[in-house]
Amino acid sequence: MDTLLLARLQFATTTSIHFLFVVVTLGLVTLLVGLQTTAVLTGKPVYWRLTRFWGQLYVINYVLGIATGIVMEFQFGLNWSGLSRYVGNVFGAPLAIETLVAFFLESTFLGMWIFGWHRLRKGLHLALLWGVALTAYASAFWIMVANSWLQNPVGYEVRDGIAHLTDFTALLTNPSLGMAFGHVVFAALLVGGMLMAAVSAWHLIRRTPDFVLFRTSLRIGLVTAALSITMVQGFGFAQFGPVGQVQPTKFGGGPEADALVAEWTARFGQGDYTPPVLASVGLGFMILIGFALGTLWLLLPLLWRDWAIRLRFPLWLILLALPLPFVAVILGWIAREVGRQPWVAYGLLPTDQAVSGVAPGVMLASLIGFSLLLGALAVANWVLLARHAARGAADPALGRPPTQPPADTRPVPAFA
Amino acid sequence: MELAWYALLGLFFAAYLVLGGYDYGVGLLLARGTDPARRRAALNAVGPFFLGNEVWLVAAVGILFGAFPMLEGELLSGFYPAVVGALVGVILVTAGVQLRSRPAGERSRAGWDRVVVIGSLLAALGWGALLAGLLQGVPLRAGGHVAGVTHLFTPFVAAAGLAVLALVAAHGATFLTLRLPAADAEATGRLARRLVPVALAAVGVATVLGLLSERVRDTVQQPVAGLLAPVLLAGALLLARAALARRRPGLAFAATGTALAALVALVGAALWPYALVSTIDPGASLTVADAAASGPTLRLLGWLTVPLLPALLGFQLMCWWVFRGRTDGRAPVYW
Ligand code: HDD
Ligand code: HEM
Ligand code: HEM
Repeated sequence: MDTLLLARLQFATTTSIHFLFVVVTLGLVTLLVGLQTTAVLTGKPVYWRLTRFWGQLYVINYVLGIATGIVMEFQFGLNWSGLSRYVGNVFGAPLAIETLVAFFLESTFLGMWIFGWHRLRKGLHLALLWGVALTAYASAFWIMVANSWLQNPVGYEVRDGIAHLTDFTALLTNPSLGMAFGHVVFAALLVGGMLMAAVSAWHLIRRTPDFVLFRTSLRIGLVTAALSITMVQGFGFAQFGPVGQVQPTKFGGGPEADALVAEWTARFGQGDYTPPVLASVGLGFMILIGFALGTLWLLLPLLWRDWAIRLRFPLWLILLALPLPFVAVILGWIAREVGRQPWVAYGLLPTDQAVSGVAPGVMLASLIGFSLLLGALAVANWVLLARHAARGAADPALGRPPTQPPADTRPVPAFA
Repeated sequence: MELAWYALLGLFFAAYLVLGGYDYGVGLLLARGTDPARRRAALNAVGPFFLGNEVWLVAAVGILFGAFPMLEGELLSGFYPAVVGALVGVILVTAGVQLRSRPAGERSRAGWDRVVVIGSLLAALGWGALLAGLLQGVPLRAGGHVAGVTHLFTPFVAAAGLAVLALVAAHGATFLTLRLPAADAEATGRLARRLVPVALAAVGVATVLGLLSERVRDTVQQPVAGLLAPVLLAGALLLARAALARRRPGLAFAATGTALAALVALVGAALWPYALVSTIDPGASLTVADAAASGPTLRLLGWLTVPLLPALLGFQLMCWWVFRGRTDGRAPVYW
């Protein structure tokens, strides 16, 4: 086992775990913004209860998003020190912007939102959730800017063997960014919608006493999922054009790919410049899942007069389909990331030059350690999520009114 | 330009050690009480600040990557065991604090609390080892890569890790004294007063070992700053003890916080003009200027950060202001 393979495996494992939580975060926070805004505008108790129930699940899910995200961030320096050495001047910028613009504020806002129930004015509390959602999208955007630069390096020039930034706007207009960002955003909404519909379906199958609440969230989830899958398909097919143009070797050969491989062979020497088949397998299965989920539209008419709930089998279908979008997002990333091999930065920096000079034994220990740790935490997190989802919306801890009456409305300042 | 960014990097990491430090300190103190209500109260005191404290680390690494790409790779991969240890600690604390109250059973809560204790331990030791490792230099080759990981295992690094651990524990106890309901703060105040001398002793041991170590003496470029570090730390700790004795927890908290922040500032100052000193090849040492990103990148980040910093600080201040004061029965409970 060499260091390179181990480092790649570690990146693939940890990012995949990260992304499974991130899609839920992005999808649910959007739905939550809708729920809480409706609750504030209409004042209807059912929307407040929905906000607390889904907010609770959102917050539990968020934990692993942070924990795995921190690993991702450190991993660049730990395992891919060549990346920062040769292309850090360009690639580092969007990541730095992301942490400052997005994560910093996102978590600060979320902490205040969790503890601000019954303490802050309603408008301010809602504004905090909007802040969480906007910064989550900002973070996804900047991460995608960074990733798209690896897919298609632009706006730089190489001096002394190191890439220097020349044109930042080129990073933002990168052909491999636009459609991919749309695709990711709607994939996240699809996941959020499916999750909401599936949890509601489970409660409705069990003939929950909370019928009105879960009927509402079944409808919201299903409509969101159906609208999103169409957008996912649209943005997905729209990617083939621009991505195929800037990465000719990605979706199979052709004259352009052959020309590029010839050029690389001249510049970097003999080598295998075609990506592993795993990439196209991933792509194929994702598209299959995409078409399968397109049938969600067939369920929408059944919302009329609650036929979906009365017939029951549509509820089972929704529940059983829940793993599909999760599988699809991982397959999609495998298609994108493995399809870029053997480059870290396409046509600029080969993967084997980016890896750190760490001994294989150390790398193996860190691979096993992080996979076990994050895997165990992920499973624990899902178990807790499932339990809380199953417990229903009777009394989530999030937003529970404080028990004791206020002794004194203004606390004594402690910094005295 | 590079100096400004280096200072900003130091500021973010120092802020993380101060703010995250009390999270870990409180986490360590969970090992003490078996009373579930007391553990809950301690976590509730950290409550609304917890998520906002950790982001200083995330932002510091972001700045490290964006503004000092050269340093980032060598620093993190050069101190692999320390960084991975700290990272595992941070993850365990993050997950443990947020998940511990989700199961209802006391048994599983106690289990998660142990996770938090171990995580806090690892995080404090890991960051301490990293700071000490900087002071004793790394075997950096001219080709760029740090060779091996064993260079980290020295008595000085171990002592410094333990010193940061003790500092963090004292800092956490002081935080609880400041924040818990007045009735419960009495006991944590006594605990903090007992922890401060421990921290003092640990800092003393680390100082002696550092002075004895040839590698540390060779690596430190500014001996004045190097010697100032233990003096300042000791001064701050003595002040904290005096303040605790006079029941001025606010002042004591400021003092323990200053001790942690001063540590970062003085490690940076002691190495100046270098960011990473090589023990085997003086020519391979990275100066701050070499380690920085090139001009256009720094300018771009500068344009972005200058208007943004007030907003970042403003929202953090808002969080501290909204949830200021001692916790009481009315404080929202979530962790
Ligand atoms: C819910 C998940 C989901 C579903 C149902 C689909 N995708 Fe997808 N796809 C993703 C989630 C995703 C993703 C995980 O979000 C990726 C990985 C990187 C990216 O930009 O989006 C992705 C990548 C990705 C790529 C690779 C881009 C590259 O290599 O740079 C293509 C060409 C498509 N998708 C196309 C499609 C088509 C034609 C679909 C269906 C008809 C489809 N995807 C369904
Ligand atoms: C969260 C979703 C992501 C997933 C699931 C994912 C998946 C993967 C996989 C499977 C690999 C291994 C490829 C191989 O070795 O053949 C990989 C490598 C890598 N990815 Fe990603 N990736 C994601 C997002 C990103 C982003 C956003 C970035 C950059 C900002 C990125 C940067 C890298 C780097 C640097 C490597 C290592 C070098 C390489 O093997 O090419 N990834 N990723
Ligand atoms: C491979 C490169 C990646 C790195 C280095 C990375 C880094 C991070 C970090 C450090 C955090 C924690 C921030 C905090 O403390 O609040 C985080 C969370 C997050 N990341 Fe990533 N991330 C990566 C991939 C992605 C991708 C591909 C997306 C989305 C398209 C994404 C979206 C998010 C979001 C929305 C969060 C918020 C917290 C949560 O999801 O629970 N990340 N990431």
